[in-house]
Amino acid sequence: MIGEGPEGTFVLTSEPQRLAGLREWLREELTRHKVEQQEQFGLQVAVGEICSNSIKHAYNWLGGKPIHVSVRGTDDRLIIEVRDFGKKFDPQSYQPPDLEAVPEGGIGLHLVRQFVDELSFDVTEEQGTRWTLVKYRPGRTPGARPA
Amino acid sequence: MEIEVTQSKSVTVVVPSGDLDMGAADQIRRVLTELIDKGQLKLVMDLGGVGYIDSSGLGTLVAAMKQARAAGGNLKLCALQDDVRSIFEMTRLIKVMAVHATRQEAVASWG
Repeated sequence: MIGEGPEGTFVLTSEPQRLAGLREWLREELTRHKVEQQEQFGLQVAVGEICSNSIKHAYNWLGGKPIHVSVRGTDDRLIIEVRDFGKKFDPQSYQPPDLEAVPEGGIGLHLVRQFVDELSFDVTEEQGTRWTLVKYRPGRTPGARPA
Repeated sequence: MEIEVTQSKSVTVVVPSGDLDMGAADQIRRVLTELIDKGQLKLVMDLGGVGYIDSSGLGTLVAAMKQARAAGGNLKLCALQDDVRSIFEMTRLIKVMAVHATRQEAVASWG
């Protein structure tokens, strides 16, 4: 199952080669939500890294498993959700990278945080992890109430 | 991803085109590892044709750089597009890896 789901939703399967299709869809979706070109690259990286984590950690490189990506926009923010149905994210197992040590891996979430204003995850559903990425529109202040 | 490998005197120039993401990381890793194993240790990677890179792509370049340096060589980069360069800056790799503005400059830096 690959491709667009309901409006604003994309479903890809857990093969690394599917990430290019996701980026293409996301570009169109971000343009539809009037996200400036210069911010689109960062959001593509952020969403791509979360999906890569799902492929690696939630599904342990097993292909054919679903990852759902959705984009919603309000006046003051963009909300992107990434949902997988594999092994739940365990924050205890995550260690921030030591960039001085020039790591070969483990920098995905570091990159995500560079490009979004808020990052959260929910593991309370029966399976998998739901990640929520929030990017405020230019000039809007994080912490303000949703429009 | 298309990967062209050319020789400029004693320097091997690797020119990938496309996105250097998780889907392409294995391919680029194989090419770089093969070159290093064959003793081609003066490496330049021209990233002018790469508009997107993720942590898997970065990890592959870092691993190859370490492998080349351990063998007495290096992997130098050149022609980074602005977005790609920003990723190298955020991860501080810009300070660790040899990054040149142009391919000519990177090749010349090998002397």
